[in-house]
Amino acid sequence: MIRALLLFLAATLAIPAAAQSVSQQPNTRIELIAETATPAPGQPFSIGLQLTPKAGWHTYWSNPGDAGAPTRVAWTLPPGTAAPQPLAYPIPETLIVSGLMNYVYSHPNVLVTSITPPADLRKRTPFNVTVKADWLVCSLEQCVPESATLTLPLVIGDGAADPQNGIALAMARAALPKPMSAVADWSAADGRFVLAVPFGNPGDVRSAYFYPDADGVIDYAAPQVVTVAGDRLRIETKASDAPAGAITGVLRVVIDGEEKPLGLMLTAEPGNVPAAGLPLAADKPRAAGGPGLPLILLGAILGGIILNVMPCVFPILSLKALSLAGGNVEPAAARRDALAYTAGVILVCTALGGLVLLLRAAGSQVGWAFQLQDPRVITALLLLVTAIALNLAGLFEINLSTGALGDQTIRKGGALGSFATGALAAFVATPCTGPFMAGALGAALILPPVAALAVFAGLGLGLALPFLAVGFIPALRRRMPRPGAWMTRLRAILSVPMFITALALAWVLGQQVGVPGMTAGLAGALLLGLLLWWLGSRQHSGASSWLPIGGAIAAGVAAILLLPVADPAVANSGTSAPAALMAQRFSPEKLAALRAARTPVFLYMTADWCLTCKVNEKGAMADASVAEAFRRKGIAVLEGDWTRGDPVISKWLADQQRAGVPVYVFYGADGQQRELPQILTVSALTALG
Amino acid sequence: MKSMLFAAALLAAGPAFGPAFANASVGAAAPQFTAVDANGKTVKLSDYKGKTVVLEWTNAGCPFVRAHYDSGNMQATQAAARQSGAVWLTVNSSAPGKQGQVDGLGAKAQIAKDKAAPTAYLLDPAGTIGTAYGARTTPHIYVIDPAGKLAYAGAINDRATADEADAKAGTNYARAAVLAVKAGKAPDPATTKPYGCSVKYK
Repeated sequence: MIRALLLFLAATLAIPAAAQSVSQQPNTRIELIAETATPAPGQPFSIGLQLTPKAGWHTYWSNPGDAGAPTRVAWTLPPGTAAPQPLAYPIPETLIVSGLMNYVYSHPNVLVTSITPPADLRKRTPFNVTVKADWLVCSLEQCVPESATLTLPLVIGDGAADPQNGIALAMARAALPKPMSAVADWSAADGRFVLAVPFGNPGDVRSAYFYPDADGVIDYAAPQVVTVAGDRLRIETKASDAPAGAITGVLRVVIDGEEKPLGLMLTAEPGNVPAAGLPLAADKPRAAGGPGLPLILLGAILGGIILNVMPCVFPILSLKALSLAGGNVEPAAARRDALAYTAGVILVCTALGGLVLLLRAAGSQVGWAFQLQDPRVITALLLLVTAIALNLAGLFEINLSTGALGDQTIRKGGALGSFATGALAAFVATPCTGPFMAGALGAALILPPVAALAVFAGLGLGLALPFLAVGFIPALRRRMPRPGAWMTRLRAILSVPMFITALALAWVLGQQVGVPGMTAGLAGALLLGLLLWWLGSRQHSGASSWLPIGGAIAAGVAAILLLPVADPAVANSGTSAPAALMAQRFSPEKLAALRAARTPVFLYMTADWCLTCKVNEKGAMADASVAEAFRRKGIAVLEGDWTRGDPVISKWLADQQRAGVPVYVFYGADGQQRELPQILTVSALTALG
Repeated sequence: MKSMLFAAALLAAGPAFGPAFANASVGAAAPQFTAVDANGKTVKLSDYKGKTVVLEWTNAGCPFVRAHYDSGNMQATQAAARQSGAVWLTVNSSAPGKQGQVDGLGAKAQIAKDKAAPTAYLLDPAGTIGTAYGARTTPHIYVIDPAGKLAYAGAINDRATADEADAKAGTNYARAAVLAVKAGKAPDPATTKPYGCSVKYK
């Protein structure tokens, strides 16, 4: 009796183990899923094998390519049930490893077929479906055959779809290539295989690839050249040994504006094929514009030119240019000054770029203007800008050539001064990430290092270009106004934007390290101001300048060293968006949740030291009609604050191939993503949605 | 700007292609080669002029190769071929650092462990022979007739799995090709789709 009971228990316990429908293998998770748990007699239902290779691994298409193996299955079905059709495979991906082509899935994939229970089965009859699957899963280094036997304990019933697996299988069927009614033509001559496929809108095709079902048709790893010949897509590649007869395969087509690629099961017969036609839409810009690097360089140079009119750079540049405007400047000296200035700008830009690349390589999440995330750098900039502003206001003079050292040194000093001015201009220009700059810099970060440095140098060249022009073209110099008393006045006026820049830096410092830190920085600026005042008065009386200069430098260093470093969490809270927008703080999860709920989202990335960001936030974004439009259309607002270099935002920026802020993106309710220009307008914002 | 970035990414990804393959075709002269074997001896294809030569691509870490060795099928095929007077050259084209790469000592240890009987085990870490023949998988079999023409290229048998049971079963194309060449006939089939792991070229 007890023995029978134990046997019964053992049998009950054994059932779940035997009826496993999912198996976790070392490199793959595999699950057998059915559209319904209660299939109806005589009614076919979809059943699928869901393979999930682990990251960095892949499973294979029905034709694995140069190497590999397809997934094989052996079904065990209740008596009287017909064997299912061979598995249907979703559209594969290409993967070239060491010159060998693999047709693979590096993502979860569902292989689908259908089973029809015999029509004479009664309801509530158990209907167990068992499959033994053998598949190959490979990484770039090795291949492992894996195997699992899976069982689904189905019960004959009404055929109602399973809520979860029904959807999974509907999606799996949607991912399968669709049969194509029209017949394609192929031809092979001189080792070239050409396929011509009738296609409704070949002009919209961005890319296409032909996966042959059988071996011996094409050389898998050879590139496929796709062109549009009239109303046909023409695919040419290297032929394999001896293609013959009807050829079948899957054509994968990416259509302009469609998120998912289209898969077409096609049959091609030997026939006439057209000559090579027009390149695909995606190929046109490359064909017309040549390689992308010159374009990117041009963008960097343009961005550099635009930086010249930024409030933090313009005063430095215009004074430098005016110093050359005097008719008494020798052309040779003007050219030397211009070259020294250019060298200074390019050197600092390239050095900053090189530093970004180095930190990138070292794994730090940084972007352009990264140096502004450190309060000590902000303090140094604050002191520097204050000193420049006081100089412009006429408090003291910068005189690198003291009279006693002779004519030769004056010339040298002039060139050295120009070099220093250039370096300074490049350094203070970084907060003004201009609209052109961000894109070029983003591109620079994905280029090989040498090309990336070339982009940074191009940016510097652009920044230096106006001054270079003034230095080399005497006509331009002559056109500039004559020096006179008005210059002193202009200089004093130009000190105003510099003072405002100093004010902005003080505010950033306050955001970063709180009121004590800001007070320390401002105290340093005050002390510096007093010492420079002393310097100015000594300059007027002809006394030695070294004492006050030494004091000023000491004051600056002390201010930077004594700066309290506050807890970032305390110093930085809330969002800077206008209250009416009801912005929430950005997180990738929140964005994903909003997008999943089909809520339109306006996302922007900002930083306190980003002037363009602040202008937009106080300007277009603060407009009442924008808040009203967003509320009416139910647009959610997300703000990411990069002031202190939040790594989550750094990663997001890198994913978007952006190197700096601002970034404005609108995610529509239809799932489409659209980037907005960096200078926002009220009409652009109210038109969203 | 997007398309510029895309173009830049393409440019950056451009030179990522591997070795260029020159597929040896059946009926044409088999590509000549010189290689160093497991004993450090230089082996040339021309050394075996007038003999049938079998080339077998191997990688001891590949489950498909394992299936044929662990089931004894590869050793039996090697023995049968050599008994009929053919030369059997096992070729390893795994690049340094990749799966299955061995030096001479490693190759000899593997031969001893598998009780294999090739005429020679050729070390091809640069993939020179592999690319000359277009060897794609391990195993991948080539049979060269006594006149130096390529007579067979493809799989060892018609069971494209890594199962030991399948390795011994089915039609052994390699054995059939050696017999056909010995009888002065063209192997049928003369070309099959090779299966297995990809050759781990550099």
